[in-house]
Amino acid sequence: MQSLPDDKKQMLWLLAQRIVPETGDLDEDGRRRFFDIVDGALLDRPEKVRGQFATFLGVIRSAPLIRYGKSFEKLPVDRQDAVLRWFEDCPVGLLRKGFWGLKAMVFMGYYGQPETNERVGYAPQFDGKARLHA
Amino acid sequence: MREKSYDIVIIGSGAGGGAVAKELAPLCGEGRKIAVLEWGARLRDEEFTGREIDMVSKVFFDSGGTFTKDRSMTLAYGRAYGGSTVIYTGTSLHMPEAVVEDWKVPGLDFADLHRRSLKYCEENNVHLLPEEDINDNSRLFLEGCRALGYHVEQFPINVKGCRGSSLCNLGCPNQAKQGTDRVQLPAAEARGVEIITNCRVTSIGERSCLAEVADPGFGEPSRWEAGEYRIEAKAVVVCAGGVINSPALLLRSGFGDALPMLGRSITLHPALILVGEHEHAISNFHGFPKSYYSDEFMKTEKFLLEVCMYFPFVTAKNLIGFGAEHSELMRAFPKLQMILVLALDEALPDNRVVLDRDGQAIVDYTLTPAVLDTLHASMLASARVFFAAGAKRVHAPAGTSFFIDAAEADRIDELIPRANVKPGKISITSAHLMGGCAMGRDASNSVTDGWGRVHGVPWLFVADSSLFPQCSEVNPYLTVMALADRVAEGIRTNAGELLS
Repeated sequence: MQSLPDDKKQMLWLLAQRIVPETGDLDEDGRRRFFDIVDGALLDRPEKVRGQFATFLGVIRSAPLIRYGKSFEKLPVDRQDAVLRWFEDCPVGLLRKGFWGLKAMVFMGYYGQPETNERVGYAPQFDGKARLHA
Repeated sequence: MREKSYDIVIIGSGAGGGAVAKELAPLCGEGRKIAVLEWGARLRDEEFTGREIDMVSKVFFDSGGTFTKDRSMTLAYGRAYGGSTVIYTGTSLHMPEAVVEDWKVPGLDFADLHRRSLKYCEENNVHLLPEEDINDNSRLFLEGCRALGYHVEQFPINVKGCRGSSLCNLGCPNQAKQGTDRVQLPAAEARGVEIITNCRVTSIGERSCLAEVADPGFGEPSRWEAGEYRIEAKAVVVCAGGVINSPALLLRSGFGDALPMLGRSITLHPALILVGEHEHAISNFHGFPKSYYSDEFMKTEKFLLEVCMYFPFVTAKNLIGFGAEHSELMRAFPKLQMILVLALDEALPDNRVVLDRDGQAIVDYTLTPAVLDTLHASMLASARVFFAAGAKRVHAPAGTSFFIDAAEADRIDELIPRANVKPGKISITSAHLMGGCAMGRDASNSVTDGWGRVHGVPWLFVADSSLFPQCSEVNPYLTVMALADRVAEGIRTNAGELLS
């Protein structure tokens, strides 16, 4: 992954499993596709935006130190989810928007894989009308 | 730097640029040279794969997720041979008479615009889909609205040989949608207009422009080799790059000093994508994806309800929340009914396109409390439609819980509080970008006259949705083509003066 350093990549993967639990079921190829999609999306953005994304991952990692005295990865999963819910509904708009951006990246990395379409029952066909009338 | 010379240069090949190109193409028979410079690529038919991430990276700017400055919204707009007509759904609505009158553009009246819109309905095969081809997702919207007494209309659409892939917004894989890429541009090329793809115009000078051609690694090769170009436009430059790129290009080229309204008063039809889950699978991603809309609340609460059907990633990011509940709803994809709501936003001068220090476009747009009120009201109305259509539960982004069950349908007002409509938490998007080079009386209140000619610059025209002084209140592409038709007529009428 060219867009994020290894520690941020690990943090992203940890967060991905809280945001889309099925990411934990991805095989090696699925994980590679996940990171390729996210990498591609980040590399398409200006360097400043990539830096902001990496910084935000660091903010999520460190934020629980204030309340729980532990960084994000050391919390039990229910507390990790509570931290993420706080970010999603945070009174500070910038943090809400940062969390929305994180979610969008994770959703893109997982649901953007054609291979995961079947898992949600999404199977469009070029001749959808034939299927409609079948 | 290589040099090229034409009589007329058109920047952009979407609804506006494509229509102008076709209308001016007969001039090629009189020995005039016309070029269309298009930033995007011309995809081969087999490159329309219908795969979400693959396609959005090829035919949208920023993969369909351009942020506004404060990151409260994302904007989707096309970049391809055919511009955004490659990735719209093809819904073809006439702008209401009252909206045309509200625009108060000197010389522009409803009869003129309607006549031109009808011309493009004919040219692009606009018609109503037969009832037997309407899928459950659309039918349920109709039934829900009718049960509530909401006024519903069917969308006229511009398809020919539609096979119902439902993939319109990723570019039709069956080449059925009749955008400018299938109708106006091939017709213009047949008469001698040159269309140069992969060509980004960086600035406009006195009857000329600078451009860069670069190979994106897909699509047909550009007619020109990669490199930098100076293109002379001996008579006319027509700017049709869309709401972000047209104002940005004109600002970057120094036209802003004499045009204080340049880039200002953009409107976006801020939109939400909402879902209701039914007990059993419905036909949603088979068949045409968008057949009905309701204008019930157009005048009172300023929003439209439309059927929609999106893809897994777009759907996922438009839901609130994460984790098990979110995954559960995604796994119900074949049972999902979808509604798109469009807020009809006011044109405010402070909502505008500006340039950053590097000369790149930034969309500085603030969601006003009035628009947030509208989005809230639209969520309530949509939830009612879902339940009236028989949904077992509804996901409202501003809901107090992830799901609202049918048993709670009578408590919608309480369960979707206005206070939960928080920008940044709720996913708000736009695919109807309008304004920034508004038509009007003079430079104090607009950028162009009623024929798209830039005030004070007789050789420079604008022909895209940036001409809109206010939002269209309906899906805008047909109006863009009608306005472009006027621009082309204005150029032809003044051809003696312009082309001498």
